[in-house]
Amino acid sequence: MTTRQARMFAIASTAIAALVFLILTVHSHTRFPALTNAEAITPAVVAGKDVWHRYNCINCHTLFGEGAYYAPDLTKIAQLRGDAYLTAYMRDPGQFYDERVHRRLMPKQNLSDQEIADLIAFLSWASNVDTQGWPPRPILVATGLAAPGAAEQPGVTAVPTRPVSPEDDPIAAGENVFKNATPACLACHSTTPGVNLAGPSLAGIASRAEELIASGEYTGEAEDAAGYIRESIVAPSAHIIPGAMYSAGGMSFMPATYAESLSDEEIDQLVAYLMSFR
Amino acid sequence: MRYQSQSVAYWYFAVAIVLFGLQIVFGLLSAAKYLGPDPLLDVLPFDVTKVIHTNLLIVWVLLGFMGATYWLVPEESRTELHSVKLAYVQLVLFTVTGVTAVIGYLFRYGTGNKLLEQPLPHKLAIVATMLIFLYNVGMTIRKAGRFTVTEGVLVLGLAASAVLYLPALFEFENYTISIFYRWWTIHLWVEGVWMMIMGSFLAYLLIRLSGVDREVMEKWLYVIVGLVFIAGILGTAHHYYWVGVPSYWLPIGGFFSALEPVALVGMAAYAYFALRRAGVAHPNKLALHWTVGSALFALFGAGLLGLAHTWPAVNRWTHGTLVTAMHGHSAFYGAYAMIVLAMITYALPTMTRSPHEGESYLGYAAFWLQIAGMFGMTLSFATAGVAQVYLERIVGLGYLDTQLKIQVHFLMLILTAGIFAIGVGLFIYDFFRRVPRLEIVGDESETAAASGVPAR
Repeated sequence: MTTRQARMFAIASTAIAALVFLILTVHSHTRFPALTNAEAITPAVVAGKDVWHRYNCINCHTLFGEGAYYAPDLTKIAQLRGDAYLTAYMRDPGQFYDERVHRRLMPKQNLSDQEIADLIAFLSWASNVDTQGWPPRPILVATGLAAPGAAEQPGVTAVPTRPVSPEDDPIAAGENVFKNATPACLACHSTTPGVNLAGPSLAGIASRAEELIASGEYTGEAEDAAGYIRESIVAPSAHIIPGAMYSAGGMSFMPATYAESLSDEEIDQLVAYLMSFR
Repeated sequence: MRYQSQSVAYWYFAVAIVLFGLQIVFGLLSAAKYLGPDPLLDVLPFDVTKVIHTNLLIVWVLLGFMGATYWLVPEESRTELHSVKLAYVQLVLFTVTGVTAVIGYLFRYGTGNKLLEQPLPHKLAIVATMLIFLYNVGMTIRKAGRFTVTEGVLVLGLAASAVLYLPALFEFENYTISIFYRWWTIHLWVEGVWMMIMGSFLAYLLIRLSGVDREVMEKWLYVIVGLVFIAGILGTAHHYYWVGVPSYWLPIGGFFSALEPVALVGMAAYAYFALRRAGVAHPNKLALHWTVGSALFALFGAGLLGLAHTWPAVNRWTHGTLVTAMHGHSAFYGAYAMIVLAMITYALPTMTRSPHEGESYLGYAAFWLQIAGMFGMTLSFATAGVAQVYLERIVGLGYLDTQLKIQVHFLMLILTAGIFAIGVGLFIYDFFRRVPRLEIVGDESETAAASGVPAR
């Protein structure tokens, strides 16, 4: 090979690669509106993107897996946590996590309520972008398994290892709903005693529900433990568990969407599953 | 030093390695925060130390590139620089821009756009500096009328770096589109045009340090540039995984980024055969260590460790974990930090009143401590990253719980980073303990004769 041929090789390969890249770029632009739900980019979403930038979020968190690796990925956070929870969280993260437990904590950002609302709009938009199936399974913020005092239960959060069929025991089917509902119950509730995540632990929920109803402090309409669990799923604010990390202004942070998103049968199964925790 | 104006390079190098030291300080701070808890949580949180860490890297490496170019161009074109004054103006402007940007980050004054956090005024100042730089280099070459392939590739690489910075000036309402164009700057820099810069420094150093024939080296430099761009341009697609772009970018990214190591193998082979064929012809063995080290470490960090997680089926699980930090640290260090340190080590003895051609115990200690430290850091990130992928992505443990379980790797990270930092400290000390001697001397022939090696 002569120097001239080597030069031609460099120029030609660069030119061809650049040309293909440009053509694909142009084509990608024709697909961006559909893939990113561009019509859903409202002024609030744009303002939220600016908040995301202004507070340098990407130098701790990742979004679409891009950013720094010091804090959880937020691609699907708006689907894992309701607006009310995220609002309260961003007002003061220190109320939700303990630096002595996890050895790191998000510093308080002093966001205005408007900024928080915009940021949530942006994160909601991001959670609906077509990411080609990524992440393959939900990336959870905390599952409590590593918390001090928590029993080691590897695999407790695993997606079912066998197919679920209608003949299954409703409790087994209910465990499947617990893991796979949108948002997944296990994203916020552990079934380990004393491990409170975004929502309270559900360990012993059946017995505790009976005690609660008998105690007279109960504010809802259920008459037995199963009824209480059902009510908590479809109308989370009917009875509020005390704690600044669970509710604000009499409204539970738990999404009130399950009455719509789950079928009656699935709710029955979920109740059966949770009633098994005595 | 053969040309008086090459002395500007000394000041570029001096500022560059001071900022290198500062980068390591912020890196150590960031690493300590992984171990936690963080006493500086409300004063200097992780996002601030991290943004300063990455931005200082870009600033000092660019300063190193510029200094090395001001060193190389007079020699290649056999003339004084067009304007020494302009070169100093540029140095001051670029340093002030970089330092004020970093100070701004302490107060959250930045765009928050990953790696392109520089505020708009700073971005414009960077563009202005690049234009001054390219003008000065261009005029020097034009005046001389002598233009080698090595400096041609170098100047094209630098000019393309300036052009590719332009997308960073735009803002996009659609976050996915802003990601798309972020990588036009960052990826096409580090896996495209900066590789041209690295390749030409490598060619220059190998021509000087070995007895290899220029014709042969320059021919293969073209081949390497071709290989870089075949893989590098379409390899941008590996940054388009899972961010909301059409799915054809997945196989394209997999295929072309799997080809990226080819150019790096080429560079390592280039160094090996140059030395094998022609032998070492220069007393500055330390510069040779850095030169060959850069080619090999780049192959390891950028090539092999990039390949380790670039295939979509793998990246689906490793995306956005510490596995990326493993690749990022070793790739940037091997390809860019080391090649700049190689240029500095090569040029330093002739710019200072140093007794023996940079052959100092300190210099070797700095080299080996850095290599060992960075290798250990890479392993720490790798083990932490693999454990993270398994626990968080496969087992389904929460992010925070996972981070708690991989603490031991962060401890290892801090220890090895400490070793690395000592190496950097020694390099900086070794640089500044020599008194600059910025006048024309007979260069290699004189010093080579002094140490008993025939001149070339």
